[in-house]
Amino acid sequence: MPTVYNWQIRRELDYPYEHERPRKQFAMVMDLNKCIACQTCTIACKTTWTPGRGQEYMLWNNVETKPYGFYPLGWDVKLMELLRDGQKWVDATYEGPTLFDAAPEGDTLAKWMPDEYDWAFPNVGEDEVSEPVEVGTVMDHLPHLAWMFYLPRICNHCTYPACVAACPRKAIYKRPEDGIVLIDPERCEGYQECVAACPYKKSIFNAVARISQKCIGCFPKVENGYQPQCVTTCIGRIRLQGFISPPDRIRPDNPIDFLVHVKKVALPLYPQTGLEPNVYYIPPIHVPRSFLRQMFGPGVDHALRTYERMRRGEEPELQGLLHLFGSTERISHSFRVVGDEVIGFDEHGREIVRVPLVEPYQERPHEDPELDVVRQDIP
Amino acid sequence: MASRMLALALATLLASGSALAQEALRAVYRADGIPLDPTDAAWQEAPAVTVTLDGQTVTEPMALEAAVGEVSVQALTNGREIAFRLVWEDPTEDRFHVVAKFSDAVAVMVPYRPSDEVPITMGGPGDRVLILHWAAFRQENLDNGYADVNKLYPNAVYDWYPHARKPYRYPEDWRNQYALAYIGGEKLFRKNTIASPVREVVAEGFGTSTWKDVQRAEGRGVHVDGRWEVVIRRRFVEENTSNPDWGPGRRTFFTVAVWDGSSGDRGGRKALGYAWIPLEVEAAP
Repeated sequence: MPTVYNWQIRRELDYPYEHERPRKQFAMVMDLNKCIACQTCTIACKTTWTPGRGQEYMLWNNVETKPYGFYPLGWDVKLMELLRDGQKWVDATYEGPTLFDAAPEGDTLAKWMPDEYDWAFPNVGEDEVSEPVEVGTVMDHLPHLAWMFYLPRICNHCTYPACVAACPRKAIYKRPEDGIVLIDPERCEGYQECVAACPYKKSIFNAVARISQKCIGCFPKVENGYQPQCVTTCIGRIRLQGFISPPDRIRPDNPIDFLVHVKKVALPLYPQTGLEPNVYYIPPIHVPRSFLRQMFGPGVDHALRTYERMRRGEEPELQGLLHLFGSTERISHSFRVVGDEVIGFDEHGREIVRVPLVEPYQERPHEDPELDVVRQDIP
Repeated sequence: MASRMLALALATLLASGSALAQEALRAVYRADGIPLDPTDAAWQEAPAVTVTLDGQTVTEPMALEAAVGEVSVQALTNGREIAFRLVWEDPTEDRFHVVAKFSDAVAVMVPYRPSDEVPITMGGPGDRVLILHWAAFRQENLDNGYADVNKLYPNAVYDWYPHARKPYRYPEDWRNQYALAYIGGEKLFRKNTIASPVREVVAEGFGTSTWKDVQRAEGRGVHVDGRWEVVIRRRFVEENTSNPDWGPGRRTFFTVAVWDGSSGDRGGRKALGYAWIPLEVEAAP
């Protein structure tokens, strides 16, 4: 089996196919401090791609409440069980088993198959906090005593996808032009090996069409320079889609590279899988570190320190870039913070958006001495 | 893994060794036509050969144990077509292919080149095989109507499907562009609605199996007394497509694979005969 290098866990691993990074790699950053689980992304995705027969419970994008929300039921608890033999990190290197290392005899990687009812409760655990809260409790320091946060999820368009590795029919492929992972509906026979293999459970079986289907990264939009539906409809402006470079070809003016590689505030979800997932999360600041480290790896402490500095105004470039989130439907290939504005550029370096870091505002005092009146309707 | 591959190599050697001694299957000539009904009395005229099956343990994902140990095979020909009747014990009747549940199925594999040197592993590069694949879920669709949402989940409630007309029924009312997109395009729609439980597949090695553009093989399967009885029928030579080198008065080879849905069999997880079995097709007298 060929050996590939995974920079997220800083080690090599065995993968069934030769190592060949795509020319561009689809990537997304989501700021979990801003998600309010309004599910606008979920509905935008649903109405665009999966309103059909056999797709009633199919959500390519979902938002679940952590720690008790899952779609499908228990997906990441099961993942932790599959990798239970010591998920050991030594500094930034993962020395525990990946899914490929944990493969049982006769299989390419460790899998589990959700039952049909596991898919039937996409909003289970919604808004539930980690533990009961006494009346009168005040949570005035970080991390919170009782906590929860929202985790929006799409396909991670992994560099080393489990679905591609698992498909005996070779019906799944990763596009060399943008790294988007797609299932060929004409080759798929519905064996559901990809459903069992994907640790994020983002390949879902359609019992009417009798094929598996998954997030397509809104490729018709991305091909034309536009960000996916879940990004452009996000009212909390928590998402930014772009393309990530491998660590040896970092461009600091690429928004995704800046967040992931330069500032290291955005982290992959369960990097222990070994798949090199390409959706990156800015971890929530109020959640206990042990939980976050298990979910996002050892980079959590650095990411949160940097984010806190940004909140204190000590990271103006990062703060500026966060204003680019949700400010344009176009894909920003590069950005620059100039004065009190952040500017996004397309792949040809043409300006596509210019956002002020502080929206212009006018202060109207409660009491107007000139007219000798008191205004009641000001915020 | 290494020990298993060794054991498998040994088993394959033994199996190919026994192929020399394997009793040939005679496809008996019958001028009166070949019944698709596996319970038809005409099948009593054809001698049966028993094929021993083992779990697929060559390529991942594997079936480490064979869910079905043997299958009985008969064949009839009318000079233009050949039909196989396959019978195996399977107390669990799996007629649906749904979320995390799989259908029973059987397939006959014939090499394009009539030689037992063609790799038994679904052919090899440049060495093509024809696979005739019958599945219980397709039979179910034909016998009792397409396994649509209302049939799979009778209590399912839904408000509305955009771009489709009521009553929502797959496939009849889904012949519009938007609906086709939902189900994976026109080609998939046609794949799901061919009026036969058998699909014609070609392959040149593991992972290469592909549906033929021309799909004319027929079949019928019934589950009686805890066993499946299935007939698969195809012309020796179909027009406008490629065909194995076979026909009346000729000798070629075949083998069989069986899937037990309840055991999680699908795709590479199957029980198969690891040796080519000679197939002697009678010519018209």
